[in-house]
Amino acid sequence: MIDVRELSVAYGAVQALRSVSFEARTGEITAVLGANGAGKTTLLRTISGLVPSQAGTVTMDGRALGGMKPEDIVRLGVGHVPEGRGVIAEFTVEENLRLGAMIAKGSLSDALAEQYERFPVLGERRKQHAATLSGGERQMLAMARAMIAAPSVLLLDEPSLGLAPMVTAQLMHVIHDLCALKDLTVILVEQNAKSALRIADRAVVLYLGTVVANDTAAAVGADEKLRQYYLGLVE
Amino acid sequence: MGPRLMRSRVVWTTSLTLLAVLVSMFATSSARSGLGLSAFFVALLGGGSLISSTAIRGAHPVVTRALISLVVVDVTLLATFRLSATANDNLAIGAAMSIVLLGLSFLTGSSGQISLGNGAFMGVGAFTVAIWANHHATTPIAFVLVLAVIAGALVGLLLGLPATRLRGPYLAGMTLAFAVAFGAILNLFGTWTGGDSGLQLPEAIYAPRWLIRIFGPGTSSLTYNSAWLADIAVLVTGVALFFMANLFASRTGRAMRLVRDNDVAAELVGISLPRTRVIAFVVSAAYAALGGGLWTLINNSVTPSTYGFALSITILSLVVIGGIGTIPGAIIGGIIYAYSADAIAWITAHTGLNSQGNVASQLNGIIFGGLLILTILFAPMGLAGIVRHWWAARARK
Amino acid sequence: MMDTFLTSRNVADVLGGLTNGVIYSLVALSLVLVWRSTRILNFAQGAMAMIATYIGFAVLAPTTNYWVSMGIAILAGMVLGGLTERVLVRGLYGKPEINPIVAMVGFLLVLESVAAAIWSTSSRGLPTPFSIVDYQLAHKPVALSPFALYEIVTALVVMVFIALLFQYTKVGLQLRAAALAPEVSRLLGVRVGRMLTLGWILSTAVGSITAVLVASNYFTGLTPTSMDGVFAFGFIAAAIGGLDSPVGALVSGVALGIILQFVGDYLNSNAIILVALGMLVVSLMARPNGVFTRSAQRRV
Repeated sequence: MIDVRELSVAYGAVQALRSVSFEARTGEITAVLGANGAGKTTLLRTISGLVPSQAGTVTMDGRALGGMKPEDIVRLGVGHVPEGRGVIAEFTVEENLRLGAMIAKGSLSDALAEQYERFPVLGERRKQHAATLSGGERQMLAMARAMIAAPSVLLLDEPSLGLAPMVTAQLMHVIHDLCALKDLTVILVEQNAKSALRIADRAVVLYLGTVVANDTAAAVGADEKLRQYYLGLVE
Repeated sequence: MGPRLMRSRVVWTTSLTLLAVLVSMFATSSARSGLGLSAFFVALLGGGSLISSTAIRGAHPVVTRALISLVVVDVTLLATFRLSATANDNLAIGAAMSIVLLGLSFLTGSSGQISLGNGAFMGVGAFTVAIWANHHATTPIAFVLVLAVIAGALVGLLLGLPATRLRGPYLAGMTLAFAVAFGAILNLFGTWTGGDSGLQLPEAIYAPRWLIRIFGPGTSSLTYNSAWLADIAVLVTGVALFFMANLFASRTGRAMRLVRDNDVAAELVGISLPRTRVIAFVVSAAYAALGGGLWTLINNSVTPSTYGFALSITILSLVVIGGIGTIPGAIIGGIIYAYSADAIAWITAHTGLNSQGNVASQLNGIIFGGLLILTILFAPMGLAGIVRHWWAARARK
Repeated sequence: MMDTFLTSRNVADVLGGLTNGVIYSLVALSLVLVWRSTRILNFAQGAMAMIATYIGFAVLAPTTNYWVSMGIAILAGMVLGGLTERVLVRGLYGKPEINPIVAMVGFLLVLESVAAAIWSTSSRGLPTPFSIVDYQLAHKPVALSPFALYEIVTALVVMVFIALLFQYTKVGLQLRAAALAPEVSRLLGVRVGRMLTLGWILSTAVGSITAVLVASNYFTGLTPTSMDGVFAFGFIAAAIGGLDSPVGALVSGVALGIILQFVGDYLNSNAIILVALGMLVVSLMARPNGVFTRSAQRRV
């Protein structure tokens, strides 16, 4: 599980996160919601070590992650699928997966086989350059690449961005199933609050870098005030 | 202050300053040094009062620049009458180098393009002067220098046109290839360029009589008087400086800086990218050629080995150390160049190195190269930039 | 019939050009290696290789085994490359484009001056491991000597090794990933900093091999500036082929070598660098990013 306490992050003069605190539990999906600029991406980047924090702590199963480099945090079992997916377009599908498997233990061919089984589309396109994949396929690739290293924590940054509603629905299913199957700690950052809340167990709402809500997904989804002001939902 | 009052103030002070400058030069050369020195101080005061008034600086920028150039030239010219022959030689060489540095500084600073071939452009100017003088019985000095500028500009155009499409490393490499190829070009036209030994300058170049009367070297020939050569070099540098200062502040200069910083935005505003890049390239080549032409005059000869790739690196080092894109930086670089040989000799003497040994002969390269690396890593804005920083920090207190 | 053909002037030019060309390809390859991994054009490449060669051969007494000296030169090159990346280049990432160019040019000057200061500018002959006498075919010389063959074979072995390394090994995958997408690679556990250093180390290893080949050619010898000309041609080959393309380096290096051999033979030796410069200009005007690079759109 991931425990964030009083986390504050600033980019120069801009305060991106102010004393953010919440818990993401093992086996649960914790959605992080909020409008653009709320600090959601910064939060994930701080957890995985790309961005330094000025105050507060991030611990994973009791172990402090502050000050560690991303390369080392990743080796502890944190998988981060960044904003925009980060699929390397010049590599083939298989090369992308091989890259993800670099820190994996066990046989490479077994790991690849497992991902191809879960995502048959990738198996079909394994020798193709990732640039030829559709948006949804790229998202699958990014997830497979993160999963191939058998992480215990999965950080997902706006996976539904740019995807059609049907593909998004499929994607959310996959995330939900993976979480249950592998007993993951999932932190799901989304602007598409509706889809995220459907599969999430808990939800944290950020507004301009501060936590304005931290409750079960059901409670957050039902709260009128939250839905109107922070989630842009108009019913 | 009302505009009419300001204008008359400007007119009066300018005229007074000009008069004082002329008198100071006449008087000193004919050894009436008391009158000369007083006139000189009047000139300094007049020019200085104009320059320091920010209102006038803003309203009449061209006049201000002209006056600054004039005063700087005046000071230096007066100095030449007092300096020894070797000091004047150094001054002349350094002044010519300043012109070259102005050109490259402008290219790199204003338009963000890099050239490793300005040593070769210097060679173009240098050989143009020598070849022309060797084929004509008499030729005026102004003409032959303008010829060098034109030659440099033409070659600059030839290389500048393909350069417009190239980004940093490719452009640098292309200019490097040109610098390396320059020697082969000279060899190919060996009958004209005198092959490995180069050319000597005959007594063909003469200066106008009024100029000689002011500076009084006693003869129209250029070869005898180091002070005379230094004066010419300083005058030409002053003119070059004035033009560069105006170019820098002009619309073209501003367009270039926009292209350097954000070429996409520049294009959207309607600036022609290739045109501004070519103009910058041509200007830097022309300036380099002018400096090279002066060198030929000063040295009375030209040899191809002077204008090799090593010179191009030296020029780049001086621009960086002095301060990219600044006019004071170019002048600082010229001064450094003028006295580098002496400085290195001093170092050799005082550190007990064998002056004929391997280390001593390579000290130039080691020091310049080392300074270049240190400067670009720790003080990329060069000496001029450091001074500016310090000045601004003091102003803030 | 065949032997008349093989000993003809044109074939001689092709063979001679090939021998030179593979050298240019190697230089181009080392430039491409550094460019792809760190986006820096290493102007000091030739000078670094030259120093490594000096260390390999001058530090050991001249009578020692050529191959041991070659090995030491390669090691020295690798150390120099790694150190340069760590100490000098680290401070240049993310800075304006001209900063690394200026720094590497300065480094070039320092290296050549230091080499001349330590070992003087006079030429040193290196032992030649193979005969430089051309092979004979029916009592007529073919423009290929055992030494030339050694050069060609070495160059090909190096290029194949690098290609295999990049394409099929875990390290190669990481090197490519670190160059293409450094941040994403970090999130996948790639130690990007080490990959950058490795890119430089590989580049200077290739460079050292090249410099040793050039210097052990009987006619050139080793001087502080002996790699300058080779570097210039190698750079031209890399620029024409495209700084991103190892294949481009190979093809344009060989093509350049052969074309220039013909130019030198049928025209003037002074025309060689001019033709090369002309080829560079024409090629860059037609394809500013190289012939073999897939053109990348600049994102706004």
